[in-house]
Parts: sequence; C-alpha cells; structure tokens
Amino acid sequence: MTYKRKKHHKGVLHLKKSWRTKRRTKDLDEIDEDLKEENAKQLINQEVDLDKPGAAQYYCIHCARYFINERALQDHFATKVHKRRLKALELEPYTIEDSERASGKGNFKLPQKRKIETIETDNDINKESKIMKVTD
Amino acid sequence: MRIETCYFCSSRIYPGHGIQFVRNDCKIFRFCRSKCHAAFKKKKNPRKVKWTKAYRKTVGKELAIDPTFEFEKRRNIPIKYNRELWSKTVQAMKTVEAIRQRRVNTHIMQRLRKGRELEKERDIKEVQRDLALIRSPAAGLKQKKLEDEEDERMEDSDTEIKAEALEVN
Repeated sequence: MTYKRKKHHKGVLHLKKSWRTKRRTKDLDEIDEDLKEENAKQLINQEVDLDKPGAAQYYCIHCARYFINERALQDHFATKVHKRRLKALELEPYTIEDSERASGKGNFKLPQKRKIETIETDNDINKESKIMKVTD
Repeated sequence: MRIETCYFCSSRIYPGHGIQFVRNDCKIFRFCRSKCHAAFKKKKNPRKVKWTKAYRKTVGKELAIDPTFEFEKRRNIPIKYNRELWSKTVQAMKTVEAIRQRRVNTHIMQRLRKGRELEKERDIKEVQRDLALIRSPAAGLKQKKLEDEEDERMEDSDTEIKAEALEVN
C-alpha cells in the first residue's frame, strides 16, 4: 500500500498517477475469488498469450502478476512482497456485503483466519482445498 | 430510489450524493464522499481505519451481533402498496429501534464498566508499589526497638526471681 509521503517541493503526482483507475491492480477480494479451485486451475494453466509477460505461462495468483520465466517466478516466491501478500490473504478480505453488515443490515461477521500457501502447480491447489476444508 | 450504504464507512448515501465505481467484475462500490473514495483508491482496509463502522464493530466498540439487526435488509422484491401493512411496518420499525437503542446503550455501559474495573486494579497496584510515599518504611522502628528492650528487661527480672526462689528452697 502506498501512503502519502512528505515531500516538500515536488508534490505527489507520482502517487496520484499510481492511484488512477487505468493503473488499478486486482483487489484482495478478487484474488480471494481466484484462489478457488476451478479459478486457480485456469489461471495456472493459461494458454500462450504473446502479449503477456512470459506468454502468460508464469503467473503468481496471490500477487496477480505475470513473470517472464520460471527463475523469475521462483525468485518472486522468495521475496518479501509475496510473503506479505500471503499474510494479507490470511484474513478473509473485506467485501461489499461486509460494508452492509457493518451498517446494521444483518449481523456483523468477524473475518475468519485461513491457511494460505503458495500455489505453483495443480497439486498445490488440491492441497490448499483440503486444508481449507479441515479448518471449516 | 434507495438509501445506499457507503462501501468504506458504511454510512447512508442519499440520492444525488457521493460517487460510485464499477469494477471490471461488475461489482458496484458506492462512496458517500470523496474522503471514502480516496481511501478506496489507496486500497486502505476499512477494518483498520478507525473512523469506519467496520473498524468499530470488529474491535468491539459497538454492538455487532444482535437479533435486532436482522430486520433491515436489502430486499429486491417490490411489494404492492397496502395501507395496513405500511402502518404496521412503521410501528414495528419504531419498536425495533427502541429495543436496539436500549441494547446498544447497555453494550456501551458494559464496556465502560470493564474500564473502571481495570482502573481500580491499576490504582491498587500503584498504591501497593509506592506505599513508601504515604507511610515511611522506617515508621514505628524506634517504638519497636524500645518495646523489645523492655521485654528483655522483663525476662531478665523473671529469671532473677526464679533463681532467688530456687535458692530459698
């Protein structure tokens, strides 16, 4: 998350640019949807798309990012950015329904904690779904 | 026409107010003012921003779980106008609101009571720790010393008396 930094002369245009709609990245609740078994399978086994980095063959679901090769993807899994994202996904993300519940339309639900692990192959997806079932 | 709720702060949005954002998965995010919209653009989590309803409810500052919250809901079925039903509904709304207000007040009072208990505990602990400021640890030492001396003298005289008695026998 980018916070406003105190800069005395140059302004915050670079931050404002990153907040523009055309530069929007996926929200946590969208990624949460992607982590579901059928969606995750599709995202990992994407068709060759030459417009995407690495022809869309090396995708990190949690960070919603394409990488150019296997090495870059593996390096990314070891980074702090990725680990931080895993941690952020542990709690159920905030949704529109939550905002309505908070306003008094229905009982408020506290977010549940889950176990999230890096998904690389199809086997990981199955593992994850099993873990989720256990916690349920 | 509807009174919508703000995605970020969960306040009411009356017709003609605020702004809405439609994400590319067709979800509509409504915002009551630019403050909420800007926070959303910065991807802030409403559960962690202190001025939102979501924060106050997750942290337990406000009543979050109660049967009185089950009445107000988004219902997507239009109902044909019926005067009797209308008047009954309005009456029910008033009674539900009164009950909820009472429960909310008790919830706040319970929270405050807990704070008072903690305060008392803290005060007792502080007094016990800094008792030396109120009563000197040396207070009464002199008197005790005097008493001890007197006791010893008494004991000495007792033994002398006993010794005399033995001699007489």
